[in-house]
Amino acid sequence: MRKLLLTLMVVLVALVAFSQIVLTVAAGAVGQELELTKQAAEAYMSIHPDITVKVLDTPDMVQDRLGLYLQFLEAKSPEIDVYQVDVIWPGDLAQHFIDFYEYNADKVVSMHFPAIVENNTVDGKLVAIPWFTDAGLLYYRTDLLEKYGLKPPTTWDELENAAKIIQEGERKTNPDFWGFVWQGNAYEGLTCDALEWLASNDAGTIISPDKKITIANANAIEILEKVAGWIGTISPSGVLTFAEEDARAVWQTGNAAFMRNWPYCYSLSKGPDSNVAGKFDVSPLPAGKSGNGAATLGGWQLSVSKYSKNPKEAADLALFMAGYEIQKLRAVEGSMNPTIQALYADYEVIKANPFFGSLFDVFINAVARPSTATAPRYNEVSTLFFKAVHRILSGTSDAQNVLEELALDLQDITGFEIVWGF
Amino acid sequence: MARKDSKLTLAQKEQRTAYRLLIPALVILAAVAFYPLFEVFYTSFTNRVFASGTDEAPDFIGIENYKSLLGLTIQEMPPVIDTETGQPQTDASGKAVYERAVRVLPRTPVRYREWFQFSFFGKRYVVGARDPEFMKAIWNTLVFTVVSVFLETILGLGVALVVNSNFKGRGVMRATMLVPWAVITVVSARIWEWMLQPTRAGLFNMVLNRLGLGDGSLSFLSSPALQMPTLIAVDVWKTTPFMALLLLAGLQLIPRELYEAGRVDGASKFRQFFSITLPLLKPTLAVALIFRTLDALRAFDVFQVLMGNRMYSMATYNYYQLIGNRNMGLASAIGVIIFIFIAVFAVIYMRFMGVDKE
Repeated sequence: MRKLLLTLMVVLVALVAFSQIVLTVAAGAVGQELELTKQAAEAYMSIHPDITVKVLDTPDMVQDRLGLYLQFLEAKSPEIDVYQVDVIWPGDLAQHFIDFYEYNADKVVSMHFPAIVENNTVDGKLVAIPWFTDAGLLYYRTDLLEKYGLKPPTTWDELENAAKIIQEGERKTNPDFWGFVWQGNAYEGLTCDALEWLASNDAGTIISPDKKITIANANAIEILEKVAGWIGTISPSGVLTFAEEDARAVWQTGNAAFMRNWPYCYSLSKGPDSNVAGKFDVSPLPAGKSGNGAATLGGWQLSVSKYSKNPKEAADLALFMAGYEIQKLRAVEGSMNPTIQALYADYEVIKANPFFGSLFDVFINAVARPSTATAPRYNEVSTLFFKAVHRILSGTSDAQNVLEELALDLQDITGFEIVWGF
Repeated sequence: MARKDSKLTLAQKEQRTAYRLLIPALVILAAVAFYPLFEVFYTSFTNRVFASGTDEAPDFIGIENYKSLLGLTIQEMPPVIDTETGQPQTDASGKAVYERAVRVLPRTPVRYREWFQFSFFGKRYVVGARDPEFMKAIWNTLVFTVVSVFLETILGLGVALVVNSNFKGRGVMRATMLVPWAVITVVSARIWEWMLQPTRAGLFNMVLNRLGLGDGSLSFLSSPALQMPTLIAVDVWKTTPFMALLLLAGLQLIPRELYEAGRVDGASKFRQFFSITLPLLKPTLAVALIFRTLDALRAFDVFQVLMGNRMYSMATYNYYQLIGNRNMGLASAIGVIIFIFIAVFAVIYMRFMGVDKE
């Protein structure tokens, strides 16, 4: 009897000890992100009843989120076990994360897009497991294009023209209508949008992969001045304060003809509370001088903090969340692009998001921001860039001056050679 | 020991006890105030990186951080000479065309960036700063501080005078008046952000548009002409109650008899205000002004929520350097500069308003 009691007590103590594992995931909350991450956490908890997964809501703006993460990391805090990490951060933050190869990632890594795996590998260590990928898309109103007899634009000129015509027509009945909405606030999102303008106009990618500063060129001036001309004409002047969700708010209420945004807006735009459901489609972004449109590579990964108290369990959770089932759930429910190649051949995924198939090329040819060339100072480079672009767009400074200053500033930071293009 | 003690007078003994009793307070103060302050001072002379992930000690770089924040230069801008005519070029409106500032300003050994230009005796000059954004942040903070504190004092005094008089529902009035101040700034700034939206979904654009002002798409938070007035308006809304509360406390200390005496002597309400209320309110006013000014100089939340990276105050620029660029050394130097600004203002107030004599 005594023995039995003792055993019971041991088991009980062990159970309590095990059930005390709490893992915290710092995750985004843009669109349906938070909800879907919570669903994934619940799915994991139902398989592992001894683990509690908490999901921490983090700021929408990438800069703010990085700031929050850095505060946890500077304090070597064990409070957060799994971080949702932007595609541009692995180089900057590598020293704070565990190597997934030490936690059985080698078995799953070949399922993911090799380019993203390479992006997440720093000095041979896989510091982040790909979770979902992103590329900029052009959302357009099929009903309005038809009404005004227009085709989906393939160049910026066509877009400008179509936006003007539709805006003029729609304003008669809807004074709040605008032609084109995008992300113009001074934050990482503007770097993404501006990189698309530049790349589509043969103006380079700010800093080239072989470490040359290429931003000071005539094509860049041309396209940025063109965009500056949109403000107050086809885009509201307030677009200079817009992030993703602000643009989506205007679009989804039916007050815009075109929107530049990420794939996550697709499932929300066809949702029950959307005014544009059944009236829109997506296409690649328009082209400039280069003749080809460009989409910025976005996307998020999961990393496990070196300071976690339970790195093994946390790594297991991260691999589960980035696994086939959860990526499929997120693709079907939230139109978030999987990083697992096989999912693009999955019937349910393609049925929910036909554009995953038709725009597959856009996703695999997306233009990367110069985060690898500039690591660990990418954030500084990007901040200087988007502030410079913001100055040009708000019309307070002349484009050539700003870009010349920017090139010199970037040289101060990186020490790279400048290739003058004007 | 006992012998030595006995030589001391009672006053000296008491003084010793007093010092001993002060020790715990001093220790706590040293731990929570002096030590962090010293850390910031020390870090400001290094090139420490925030969240570097290594345990290597940063390098000591002397006053390099301060130089890179505060370095200034003035350069004359040469006019552009037309290569054909040999005459200075002019633009379409007949104004002289000058060489671009970025070409005029020195690049070695350190780079200066354009802050602003001005004309003086027919010549054009450019003021270059090593960090023009910090210069603009200082300027923004000073404008914000002076204008918002001035408006808050005037309005706060008005509110305080009203709620100090006798009327029905005065208690309720005094409580509700405090609501804007009681709401956390980050929360209220978010609410303002909603109301200030650049479309007619925003309250202000809606109302102004109905009144025939603006086109319904005024961009309060991104157009350079509207940014500062908007920030000041939000801060005035938020902090006027605090000012009123402090001044109300001061008003209640003024004895009623003085007003009665004034009335007997035939002083008008106007005269009573300037000869009784204002002089007796001065100490309170000084304290209130110091509180508000020092608070405004380190304004962070309103700027951070409403402006983000579009416009900085000194404190948000500090945050940007620390978190965005991970320059902990430079950010510490900014912290020290803010500290110095605040100290200077505090000393000026104390001298000017005679607070230390009271």
